[in-house]
This record gives sequence, structure tokens and C-alpha cells, in this order.
Amino acid sequence: MPENVIPMPNVPTVTNFGQDRIRQQNRQLIAEVERNEQLRRQQQNQMYRDVAEFNKGRINYSLPSHAGKQGASHFRKAFDQLNETDFNNYSVKDLTFLVENTFYEDELDKAEFYEIIANIGKFLTTKMDELGYDKKSNSAKNFMIFQFFSERLELKNGTEHLPFEYDFEDYMGIQDYSKMFVTKLLKTQTGQCHSMPLLYLIVAEEIGAEAYLAYSPNHSYIRFLADNGKWYNIELTNGMFSTSSYILQSGFVKSEALLNKIYMQNLSDKELMAQFYTDLTNAYIAKYGYDDFVGNVVSKALELYPNSISANMIKANLLTMEFEYVCNQVGINPRNKQELQNIRYYPKVVEMLNAVNAQYATIDNLGYTHMPAEAYQDWLQSMKKQESLQENQKINEQFKGLLNKQPIKN
Amino acid sequence: MRIYLTTILLFLFCFCAVAQKQGERFAQSYALLDAMLNNEVEYSFKDAVFSVENAYLDGKLDKTEFEKEISVYVNLCNSLLKNRLLEYGEKDRETVNKWAAVFTVMTDSIPLYIQDEQYVYTPFSYDFKDVFGHHDKENLFVSKLLKTRKGNCRSLPYLYKILAEELEVNANLALAPNHVYIKHNSERHGWFNTELTSGIFPIDAWIMASGFVHVDAITNGVYMKALDNKESIAVLLVDLAENFNAKFSDNDGSFALQCAERAIKEYPNFAKALILKAEANKVQWQNETDEKKKKQMLTDLENQLAHIHNLGYRQMPEEMYLNWLVSLKTEREKYENKNLNNFIKN
Repeated sequence: MPENVIPMPNVPTVTNFGQDRIRQQNRQLIAEVERNEQLRRQQQNQMYRDVAEFNKGRINYSLPSHAGKQGASHFRKAFDQLNETDFNNYSVKDLTFLVENTFYEDELDKAEFYEIIANIGKFLTTKMDELGYDKKSNSAKNFMIFQFFSERLELKNGTEHLPFEYDFEDYMGIQDYSKMFVTKLLKTQTGQCHSMPLLYLIVAEEIGAEAYLAYSPNHSYIRFLADNGKWYNIELTNGMFSTSSYILQSGFVKSEALLNKIYMQNLSDKELMAQFYTDLTNAYIAKYGYDDFVGNVVSKALELYPNSISANMIKANLLTMEFEYVCNQVGINPRNKQELQNIRYYPKVVEMLNAVNAQYATIDNLGYTHMPAEAYQDWLQSMKKQESLQENQKINEQFKGLLNKQPIKN
Repeated sequence: MRIYLTTILLFLFCFCAVAQKQGERFAQSYALLDAMLNNEVEYSFKDAVFSVENAYLDGKLDKTEFEKEISVYVNLCNSLLKNRLLEYGEKDRETVNKWAAVFTVMTDSIPLYIQDEQYVYTPFSYDFKDVFGHHDKENLFVSKLLKTRKGNCRSLPYLYKILAEELEVNANLALAPNHVYIKHNSERHGWFNTELTSGIFPIDAWIMASGFVHVDAITNGVYMKALDNKESIAVLLVDLAENFNAKFSDNDGSFALQCAERAIKEYPNFAKALILKAEANKVQWQNETDEKKKKQMLTDLENQLAHIHNLGYRQMPEEMYLNWLVSLKTEREKYENKNLNNFIKN
């Protein structure tokens, strides 16, 4: 077996002129330097320990609370209200309104919101009658809602509704969190992948259709079971039927994510309930930032849905913020590897770092992988390509053909 | 006349004895794998692979020779480890370094110096001949790979796993339709795939978008699951059974059934084992004479097939396989894991 050639060290010659003495002196010098170095290190360690001892009683382990800020009490009230809600029996409409109204400090008009939803319900049932759709059929009801989102619809009395449009601007609600809201979608007729599926669920609830929310990377969409026993995916951001392969082609779905059922699965009522908790948290974070309240709400979300990616991400962020906050108090820059070593004098801070790492490991093991914003936009756009368009067209026609077979009643 | 008959009988007896002995080697291999699964014998993927291949090759493999050949590659990995540093600073860098060494040895040319002479080590290559082992099961063997330096999606990942374990790090096998590849979990990248037939790190979409993997199959762990060591032994059990069936085509199916059931016990959603079991049961159903029993067996068989279907298993036509495998090279841009692009660059 070939080995890398290692050059032999040079062997010193036998004769030496006083070299032994020089060598001995050198050794003494080195020993002294080492002693000094050790002493210095001991002193430094002692200093760190003293500082740590001094700091111990003064460290604040919780982030500064935002409880006293204007509007924050509304969030605490909303949290209590969510906790009182039965996760097996709740209304998507109620909880959506609760979260959005909390953000606006109870300034929204509840009666108006409920009336709009009721009107949409009436509009759709009337339209179903006009089209002769079977009002008991889950396919018909879902297809009707799908049409409401994606086509121009007009009733015989002249009332019309234009399709909703996708709002590209600040679609993650970073500058303005209210971009995520159903109330914003209703007001502007434009929305994104959070508000549109949510409105779909609200309308489905209103007309008694059965539909589910499902996640994919950075995204949520609707699934429903058609009368033929097949599951369909509805992509509301562009008003199309989508396929599993379209979702998988994004390239950001790992097999572990499917194994752990974090993507492409119907959310149960209980899991969907967790989303209202995370929505409430995100609204709070957008308004005030992180504090203990965030931790409380998110742990409730995780209780309902342990594999929730958004809840796990919020938790990871919170733990990171807390850790960095404490590091700063003891004068350690957590981004500097050298300085980070010094947290060993603070067992509690070490624990915090371990918790941060464990939380990120949890997220990795769930199969989550970060999808950059550009990749997400490209992926959404790719749906307008020929193949997906044809697929959508096909499904659309199938439904129309199937549902319109019923005799038209007058 | 009598002498003639005796000779014939004697001849037949000898023949049977040989056949029985061959069957015995399979039984011995089964016993070894079973003992590893029961923790009665220390787990070793190398030993398990050797016993499976040796059974098929009538005991003609030389264990010392096999070990020696493997140690050549282990040494090569070790000298790479000594002389190369990865740009990877996470806590698990020692492990990742070892994976990288095995990967390089299997897929890359390496300059070598032997007594000041420069040589170039050439990596293993892909053998497009008989990739399913229809002609000869030996084409799927690690021993054949070591001999010819040409391998396929069975022998290459198996050897990779063996080398990784020799370096005392873990490597997970993972299954795709007609295919085996390697999965690792690193601090920086989470789970990632290593594809040895082309020496590329593909993203999961490569397999998911092949069009032959149903989402349910992934959700149920039929495909793409990082198999632990015991599940990997279950994979070898099915190899063993398939080798047995190839060698003794007229057998009653009981050996395959035994292997399949043991494999299923370890890895319940292992599609190949479930299919093997159904096939063995089908043979038994065909041979059954009792009408009542036969009917019951048929219902049972139908249930098994429905279960396999429900798990999301669909058959990938073999003609499509090579096209798909090659797609990784032709559509490299689309399916390569960009995070790992600069992972191993000398």
C-alpha cells in the first residue's frame, strides 16, 4: 500500500561544544515561561470566575417584557380566549377575527366582517342553484369556492364578484404584518398564501364544505376530498389546481419532512388550532418583539401540534434571543467563538446554549430546510408554465363536466 | 445391472448432498443475519455482505482476501484524512471528514506517490451491464466490484457503508425504486444524499420528481428513509432470498418466505420484502390442493397486495431506471445540492 513519504528527521552529530549547557539553559527558560503562562491563565480564570460570581445575582434571564406597552393587554386577553376554546369544536371565522382584531386593538367591526362572510355564503349558494350544482356534494361546494377565488362570477340579479389576486408586495408581512390578514384580503381583493387559504376555510365553514389546510415550504394551500374519492390540491395564490409533483419540484421538501408529516398533510382541527396561536404570536412579535409572552403562546401551539414548523421556528428564535440577551449582560459576544468559550463560567448560560442547539437540531430532524424568498417566488411563478396550466385546465374541465350534469333547476 | 443402479444412486446421492450443502450456506448466512438482528452476534455490515455473497458463490470467496482488499481502501481513506482538511468547522467535522474521504476514494482520482514516482489512483466506475443482476446475481456483489472495479447501485453503496464502518462512522442506506443510495445527517446540512453511481450529492427532488415515487411511499418510509443498521441487514436478507431464488429456481418458496418475514419484522414497510413474501405465498397458493385453504390463501394474498399498494409502492419499469439515473448528470443543475457544492474540493 502506498504511504505518503515522510522525511526522516536529521540526527544531530555526536560532537558538541558546550551545546548541552545551552540546551539546559533553554529548557529552564522555557519552563519559566510556561510557569508564567500557567500563572497568568490561572489568574485570568480566577478573574472570570470572580466576574461570574459577581454577575450571578444580577443576570436577568428573561427578555424585557412588553406587557406595559399600548395594546399588549389585548394579546393577553386573546390568548386567554384561545385557551378557553375547544380545539375540536371552534369556528375558523371566530378565531381569524379574534387574531386580526387583537392586532388592531379591538378596532375592527365584528358585525361588518361577519356580514361580508354571510354575503359570500349567500352569493355562493345562489350561484350553485343557478348552475344546478348539487348542494350536498363536497366536490360541488369546493369547486364553487374555487371558482369564487379564481373566476369572475355573476348572479342573475347582476351581482358580480371578480377573482382575488396575488399581492406580491411584502407578501411575508415583514414591513406591514396586516398584509397577512383576511380582513386585508377582503378589503383590497388581493392576498397571499396565508390569507387566501384562511378565507377559503372560512367560506367552506360558512357553506358547509369540507376542506383542509396543508403546508409546503413557506406556503399553505387547500386540500379537499372529491366525491370520486380522490384528493385535490388547490393553489389559491394563482387560482389553480396543483399536483403533488409540482410541490415536490420546489426542491425544498425533504423526505424527512414527509416522514414527519410536516408538509403535504391535511391539518387536523387540533393542528389548525395551533396556527391561530402562532398567528397571534407572529402578530405580537411584529408589533413588540420577543418576550416571555411569546414563549407562553408558542408552547401552547406546540402542545397542540408538536411538529409545527412555524411554532418550532418561533421557539428557536426566542431561545436565541434570550441567550444573546444574557450573553450581552455578562459582556460576552456570542458571535465571537473565542469569547463564547467564557460562558463555561456560567452553567446556566451553557444550559441556554444547549437548549438553542437542541431546538435547531429538532427543526433539522423534522426535515425542514430553508427556502430563500427568490426560490419561493420562482416556484410560485413556475406554476404558470405550460405543463401545470394544462393539468389545471384538465381538472377544471373534469369538474365542470361532472357537476353540470345535474339538471338545471329554476 | 445392480452395480449400474448403485452407481446411479450414489451419483444422485452425491448430487443431492452438494445441492443440500449449497442450501446450507444460505441457511448459515440467514442464521448469521438473524443473529445480528437479535444482538447475538456483533453487527458488521461487512461480515453480513460477505456471508450473503459467499452463499451464492458456493463458499468460494476467500475471507482474508476480501478483508485485505477492503483494507487497501481503508488505508487510502486514512492517508486522505491525514493529508487533507475540509472547509467544514462544525462539531462533527471528524465524522464529516471521514465521509468525505470515503466519497473521494469511491468517486475521484487521487494522485499518489510511491517511492517518489507519481501514480494516479482511478476511482470505481459504473457498470451499465446487467444492473439488475438478471443475468447473474454476482453483478450486484461487492466482491465483484472489488475484483473488476466496476459496480452499480447495489455494490457501490454497500462498499461505501462497509468503508465508513471500517473508519468507525455511520452511513445510512436509503432506498428508491430499483435503487440504493447513501444518506448522512450533518450539523451544517441536516440530512443529505450521496449518490455513488454518479458521484453527485442530489437533492430529494431528484427522486421525488422521478414520477415513480408516490408521496405516500415517502410518508410511510417505503422509500427515502435513512435506514438504520438493522434495517440495512433486512435489506441484505431480501438480497439473500433473491439470490437463493435465482440459484434454485424450482424451490418451494419457504426460504424466501423465512427471509422476507424476518426482514419485515425489522422493517415493516419494506416494500421489497412485502412483495417477496407475497410472491412466496403465491407459489404456496398455487401448490395448495385443499380448496377451502386455497380460497383463504387467495384472500390473504389480495390483502397483502392491497397493503403494498396503500403504502404507496408503485413499480418503476426497469427500462426507465437507467434514464432516470442518467438524469442526474444531464440535469445536474436542477438536482444537485447547491449547499454541498464546495463541500469536497481539493
